[in-house]
Amino acid sequence: MDHQCPDPDRLRLRQPRFQGLTSGHRACAGCGAAITARLVLEATGPDVLVANATGCLEVFSTPWPESAWRVPWIHSLFENAGSVAAGMEAALKAQGRDTKVIAFGGDGGTFDIGFRALSGMLERYHNVLYVCYDNEAYMNTGVQRSSSTPHAARTTTSPPGKARMGKRHLKKDILSIVAAHHIPYAATASVAYPPDLRKKVRRALAIEGPTFLHVHSPCPLGWGHDGALSIEIARLAVETGMFPLIELERGGVTGVMPIRNPRPVAEYLRRQARFRHLFQDDAKAREELEHLQAIADHNIEFYGLTGHGPDALDTEGADTAHRGGMRWA
Amino acid sequence: MPAALEGSQAIARAVALCRPQVVAAYPITPQTHIVENISKLVADGRFDCELVSVESEFSAASVVLGAAAAGARAYTASSSQGILLMTEVLYDISGMRIPLVLTCANRAVSAPLNIWNDQQDAMAVRDSGWIMLFCADNQEAVDTTVQAFRIAERTELPVMVCVDGFTLTHTLEPIDLPSQEDVDAFLPPFEFERRLDPARPISQGTLVSPEWFPEVRHANYQALLAAEAEIEAAARDWAGLVGRETGALVEADGPGEARTGVLCMGSIHGTLEAARAAAPDLEPVRLIRLRCFRPLPLAAIEAACAGLDRLIVLERAIAPGLGGVLTTELRAFFADRADAPRIYGFAVGLGGRDVPLETLGRALASSAADNPRHFAVLDLEPEKLPEEDR
Amino acid sequence: MSTQITRGAYALPGTALAFKTGTWRTQRPRHLHSPAPCHGACPAGEDAQAYLALVEEEDFHAAWQTIVQANPIPSVTGRVCHHPCEAACNRGRYDSPIAIHHVERFLGDQALREGWDYPLSPPPAEAPRIGVVGAGPAGLACAYHLIRLGLNVDLFEALPLAGGLLRTAIPEYRLPKDTLDREIERLLATGIRFRPNHRLGRDLSLDELRQDYPALFLGLGTQRSRPWSIDGATPSDLREGLDLLQEYLEMGRIPEWRSVAVIGAGNTAIDLARVLKRAGVEEVHVISHKAIPAPDVPPEDRMPAIEREIRQALEEGVRIHEHRGVQRLLLRGERVIGVEMVHMKKLPDPSGRLRRIAFEGTETLLHVEQVIPAIGQIMDPEGIEPLLNRWGFLGGDRWGAIPDQAGLFTGGDARGDHGMVSEAVGDGRLAAEAIQALLSRRSLEPPEERTPLAFEHLNLHYFEPGQRPEPALLPVEERTGFQEVEGVLARSQVHAEGVRCFSCGECMACDNCWTLCPDSAVLKARERCQDGSHYVFDYDYCKGCGLCAEECPCGYIEMVAEG
Repeated sequence: MDHQCPDPDRLRLRQPRFQGLTSGHRACAGCGAAITARLVLEATGPDVLVANATGCLEVFSTPWPESAWRVPWIHSLFENAGSVAAGMEAALKAQGRDTKVIAFGGDGGTFDIGFRALSGMLERYHNVLYVCYDNEAYMNTGVQRSSSTPHAARTTTSPPGKARMGKRHLKKDILSIVAAHHIPYAATASVAYPPDLRKKVRRALAIEGPTFLHVHSPCPLGWGHDGALSIEIARLAVETGMFPLIELERGGVTGVMPIRNPRPVAEYLRRQARFRHLFQDDAKAREELEHLQAIADHNIEFYGLTGHGPDALDTEGADTAHRGGMRWA
Repeated sequence: MPAALEGSQAIARAVALCRPQVVAAYPITPQTHIVENISKLVADGRFDCELVSVESEFSAASVVLGAAAAGARAYTASSSQGILLMTEVLYDISGMRIPLVLTCANRAVSAPLNIWNDQQDAMAVRDSGWIMLFCADNQEAVDTTVQAFRIAERTELPVMVCVDGFTLTHTLEPIDLPSQEDVDAFLPPFEFERRLDPARPISQGTLVSPEWFPEVRHANYQALLAAEAEIEAAARDWAGLVGRETGALVEADGPGEARTGVLCMGSIHGTLEAARAAAPDLEPVRLIRLRCFRPLPLAAIEAACAGLDRLIVLERAIAPGLGGVLTTELRAFFADRADAPRIYGFAVGLGGRDVPLETLGRALASSAADNPRHFAVLDLEPEKLPEEDR
Repeated sequence: MSTQITRGAYALPGTALAFKTGTWRTQRPRHLHSPAPCHGACPAGEDAQAYLALVEEEDFHAAWQTIVQANPIPSVTGRVCHHPCEAACNRGRYDSPIAIHHVERFLGDQALREGWDYPLSPPPAEAPRIGVVGAGPAGLACAYHLIRLGLNVDLFEALPLAGGLLRTAIPEYRLPKDTLDREIERLLATGIRFRPNHRLGRDLSLDELRQDYPALFLGLGTQRSRPWSIDGATPSDLREGLDLLQEYLEMGRIPEWRSVAVIGAGNTAIDLARVLKRAGVEEVHVISHKAIPAPDVPPEDRMPAIEREIRQALEEGVRIHEHRGVQRLLLRGERVIGVEMVHMKKLPDPSGRLRRIAFEGTETLLHVEQVIPAIGQIMDPEGIEPLLNRWGFLGGDRWGAIPDQAGLFTGGDARGDHGMVSEAVGDGRLAAEAIQALLSRRSLEPPEERTPLAFEHLNLHYFEPGQRPEPALLPVEERTGFQEVEGVLARSQVHAEGVRCFSCGECMACDNCWTLCPDSAVLKARERCQDGSHYVFDYDYCKGCGLCAEECPCGYIEMVAEG
């Protein structure tokens, strides 16, 4: 029986999943970071405390007097999400409460300026889940390069030009560094695979101890693509091997999402303006394209990402649509 | 019953008595003995708290910020470089009106590297929105620490308890530690109304636009001014409970006929007292000790300076390009007051240079002119300077 | 909106809802139900996507009920239909089309097994009574739909039993009699007044019928073979294809020929060839000017017979001569002893019309004892001469209304423009609707032309590849009698096809849009909304990024310009 469409104002209150981040935030249309935060909180539920570093997520969600958060939330500074979370966790421990602490930081606040605080938090074994939403540059301040920016990408502080081909250095391998702290669980995830992301969040929540999630979150504005393509581009990052989905425990790889038919990286790069300079007729540009392909190939080999089975476009059904809704979500 | 305790040790014991649930510890000379003592207390099961040995002072401040935001009483200590490193966090804490107590073991700020006592570190963060109390001796440090928690939690402002590094922290003195019962009576459990709680999920640390920002700043400013009353009340109530005076905002002491006042903060006050007692031929001098530096208690200072012709400010810091810090602030205040004394300002004991008893006489002698010289380093030894810097 | 600052500038939860980001939009998403290509392609009007969805949910009864909204005889069509739905199926461009035909058969057979009844109630006694002449698939379907629409029906049939060509011309190895009988029995039990042994012309006159009934449906079929001669010569013992087939099916015997050439490329030719094989003819040839269907054969060059029937015929030893025509008969006296074949193709002439072109110099001789033309059927004009158009058929508009004949409708082979069972069923339904509209003085709206969901609008990332199942076939060596050749899929295979269906143009409630919206501006509803989906767009907050439309697997969301 088809019914009149229910009124959104009432329907919003009856959603079957916990909505930790409401509508009304000021993220750009198609923002990957917003999807990340949404999905993480859907998996955590309301019994969390959140520490959020300065960055896009924090700024677009809390313009006083408004807040899009429905969980207890604190923003302190750019570089201390890890320590603020540690402090919150210590307080809860002292008070005998088992509410979980989540830290959110962008790649800038995690790989760079917040690196120290993150490392300290991990080393001290705080019971905190740290989620890095990685949009691969300092997006909030206008697309400047971070250590997470991929090699050869354009940012405002790594522009291509006569003497340069975009970012000179490689993307920092944060997951290996985090994993080298021998924490119980560290994983990468992507907004293109929501059930996988949520599953990893739940896995981390169940662990007493520091856990880390590195979530690839496309930025339409900064990467130079249409907001409607954020998921497609995130998916391509995984399918090309540029952003492997892996899980590490105590420093060793314990899980990967296999790719049955890796796509050439050019398919991923071509869709984004930040890599457009690599497609000009130039020897250096071609070399950089090859370099990026080599990096992807290396990832696939290193992490053993090659899947098996009949020809497929996707990654072994991790994102198969099912009538009636997402499974294992 | 007094016990002979090193200053740091006494402060550590005082902190433990206040039952903070979270302590962040990062070592820096001369604060190290405080955190070491705390660590030992925790290890011996005498201090039940979450001791977080952080990886930097920035983290130390951040950890206690997070802990207090989550509703736990929290404490940390630092000094000098550490205070400067955590400066960003200090502003953040006060801006969010989070109650905290921090012990600053005052030490010079590099460069040049120097581990000894002056008060430059505290001066560097004087506008960070913290209540700042300077202790004359270790007994006062102990008592002030206890009071600090109450002041912080009632005003919802953070409190920095300053103690001169080495001079106080590493000095053995007879200390009367308060009993746990007295401290518990004075200091109820911390109930932070705005604490982070899933039952009432507020968002702290939002982005405030120009439309609202001046009001938030004004409110902080007003809160600090209003804190004077709490600081006085805490000193009064504590004195009533344990029978010891710590001083509240300003202490002044001297013969009625004194027309000269010498104002200072911290432990050199004791030196000046001893100097005055040892030199009865000196002109009558009113010794004024500023215990509360922030908020700057102008009314109390004015009262303490009533009837003075001359006020000599001996400070433990210097503002390059300007002169004195405290001196400048007092000159600015007194500029349009009626009957303002002439104000002479000196830095003394920078970088831990010893402040001998002769300092008092020298200060008086250096303040003879009608027109006060701008500012000088009182104990400068000019022969050590190259020509260009004389 | 607060008018006073809070201490430390904290904010209350969820207050961002006061800010309606919907004002940022330059485009908005909306739900758009597009017909699935299978639905558009089905001549009977079945919505295969709709019943495959029910199959996926394992509600087979509801799935069958969906079929019989359009087609009352799925166990029949599930065996004999040429399934244009599968040719149109978008899944065919991804891995292999959904086995819709086999699914339909499974459901039809299950209905018979379970005794499911049509979801309809008999019409009130006082409802008008319509006359339907001919109980072939067109007439049966028309009668059924008239009942469904609340009208009474008198169904006349010349033969003793209903079914038309389904009974007389389709061999049992394709359509068992038992299945046909039970489908018809259920259909007739809906309250139709069935009058067998009533032939138009002999027992009924058109004028009588027009007086007795406010409207008539003439599903008369094409009872005669198209006349055939080569160079003006016909063998004296010429048997025409359909006649021969019908006779064999009824009587069980044919003359004893050792070798036969069947001329034609349609189902009749193939059925006849396979029947002849079973009857013991050693060499059975089929001469076709078109080609055996294969991936590289253009559609207009393909033999019109159903592809798998052709394949099974080849398995059974029938020899098919492609791109051939008969140029000359080899006669001894008036008896055939062979044919002269020549390479022949239908090619467009300068004006674009297709003409059969024989290629000189490619003649071969084929020695056969009989030549049987199966080149098509025409109508028997008895009793209906005034109605025939200049091609000898009844014609009919899209609803089957016969031009200039108020209240007269037709469908099926009698129209002259198509000859498949499912087309006849579709004709019957359309005519019934037109009749009902006529009687209630309602004007008929032609259904709006909606574009079926294009393959490009699907998001294939969300579908796992898989192959279509094929039911087991009777081994060739066992195909000596009339045992059914094609098996049926297993229930799990049928369900798997439901899962494999893309759900083109219809929301499958996969949660993608709801999950991926960065602004939580897609809300999930428990009930299905009027627009067919389980999701509601919250336009107060939707920024129009287009992620939902992009990631909808089945093309159910489109972005339209705002304002």
